[in-house]
Amino acid sequence: MLPNRSRTSVLVFLLPPLLLYGAAVLFPILQSLFLSFFSWNGISDMEFVGLDNYVRMFFADDIFWRAFLNALIYLAICLVLQLGGALVVASLLTSLRRGRELIKTLYLLPAVISTVAIAFLFVRIYSLEPVGLLNQLFQWVGLGALERPWLSDVNTVLAAVSAPEGWRFTGLYMLIIYAALLAVPKELEEAAVLDGASRWTLFTRIRFPYIRPVWITTTIMATTYGLRGFDIPYLMTNGGPGQSSELLTTYMYKTAFTSTDFGYASTISVFIVIECLVAVGLILFLLKRKADS
Amino acid sequence: MITQAAAPPTATAAVTPPQPGRKRRRPDLFRTLSRVLIMLIVIVQVYPLAWLFVTSLRSEHDFATGDPFALPGSLTWDNYARAFETGDLGRNILNSLTVTMGANVLIVLLGMMAAYAIQVLGFRFSRLVRGLFLVGIIVPVQIALVPLFIDYSAVNLLDTYQSMIIPLAGFSLPMSVYLFSSFYEYIPNETYEAASLDGAGPYRIFGLITLPLSLNTVVTVVLVNSIFIWNDFIFANTFILSEELKTIPLGLQNYIGAMGKVDWTATFAAVCVTITPLLLVFLVLNKAMIQGLESGATKG
Repeated sequence: MLPNRSRTSVLVFLLPPLLLYGAAVLFPILQSLFLSFFSWNGISDMEFVGLDNYVRMFFADDIFWRAFLNALIYLAICLVLQLGGALVVASLLTSLRRGRELIKTLYLLPAVISTVAIAFLFVRIYSLEPVGLLNQLFQWVGLGALERPWLSDVNTVLAAVSAPEGWRFTGLYMLIIYAALLAVPKELEEAAVLDGASRWTLFTRIRFPYIRPVWITTTIMATTYGLRGFDIPYLMTNGGPGQSSELLTTYMYKTAFTSTDFGYASTISVFIVIECLVAVGLILFLLKRKADS
Repeated sequence: MITQAAAPPTATAAVTPPQPGRKRRRPDLFRTLSRVLIMLIVIVQVYPLAWLFVTSLRSEHDFATGDPFALPGSLTWDNYARAFETGDLGRNILNSLTVTMGANVLIVLLGMMAAYAIQVLGFRFSRLVRGLFLVGIIVPVQIALVPLFIDYSAVNLLDTYQSMIIPLAGFSLPMSVYLFSSFYEYIPNETYEAASLDGAGPYRIFGLITLPLSLNTVVTVVLVNSIFIWNDFIFANTFILSEELKTIPLGLQNYIGAMGKVDWTATFAAVCVTITPLLLVFLVLNKAMIQGLESGATKG
């Protein structure tokens, strides 16, 4: 603490950032909470409906539950691709002698590309007519039977819109995990190797426990990002066909800006926030507890 | 999906118990395997982007009929000409630059100020304020869409640069505050005490000591946030209506014609044009950017 600071100086430095943050983040959260108790289409008078929106969401809205389930599957696919892929590549990368920097750069490349560009790209990759990259690949390896229009098949569309999001950010998480793996003390690893530890034991007993704090952070990042996933499903299928790739976020968006049901849309966004907080709490609880045992 | 399918071989390779006679060969086998696997995964990451670029140079006919993996018979720049005719790419890029710079100025300046107040000046509720900023990292941006849409229409901010800059800066501010304050932790107290003895107040200390020392962190903050701001789709899509204000992601959507008909090769040409600026920055500054992303996560 500075000795001759004054109350005014603290306020001068603190108020402008809090003002922006309050206006853009904190106040809208409260406003959503408030709106979730009203029925309002943006034009007519707001009508207080108490818990009606919540009752409707939990007990009378099949689309909501469908979208919630889809969002969980979307999240699971993203996590496997992002964290699983990141961990595998990061571990392999530490065994390379040369070219690490180049591979890091190449691997991160998709993270720089906008979601709109990625959506365009993957629409073509999945296309059947003219045959896109994925279907062509299946033809070549003799899996022609798997050929299909991935985005209009109700059984594959959800996985098809989830994979690009996983693909996009796996490089980011790889970087973080790789940096953490590099920080594992070499003496520890060498001592374990001398004791005859296999690569697997080395990984589970020494490397992974060492990077656990970073793993918790990356899991939280990937989960909160996965739960707010919106752009790619919205752009590629807009939740369709039917509701088969509808996520809570796309459903909320359509409720707000297509059906202009601001009250109900706010109820769904409140649910999304709570879902994020619960997810973070769960991750901390599960991963921290394991660390203690 | 290929990453998933490729995972088991490593696991088995790693689980294989050490066999005395092969001890010297095993590391080589492992190394070769991991090299092949890394190459495969890198191809999965990079090939689609290379394909995007090659397709943007393909003739329309070639694209509609040919094998998608084949190299084009002839290269053409026609797609780029059509891309510039269809959309106002120059304008889109300029708008994205305006929004990215505007948001970055706010994020850097306000982030530094908040971190200075919390970390250097210190006050009674500093822990509470720090916690408030944490909320912004966890909470999804979608929560702000409906309220901001309503507020903007009340104060006539819909369809302006500010309507994009405010939420983009607001949601990036927490990360910036954390990066700056974790850096300020390492500035020794003696530096400030010496300056204080010389009679410098909090404002002069901020301007003469903290600000100049923060330059490296500024680069990190700008690089990390620019990726997200430059590519923002959801705020722009919600708040922007007029063509003149459309940023790159919105501009690209104009290439979807009536009834969903798309001129794919021209669209891919437009995509290539619009990803070039950030891609160049990334390739030139990739060391700094990679460092920034790493520290953003481990400290944030």
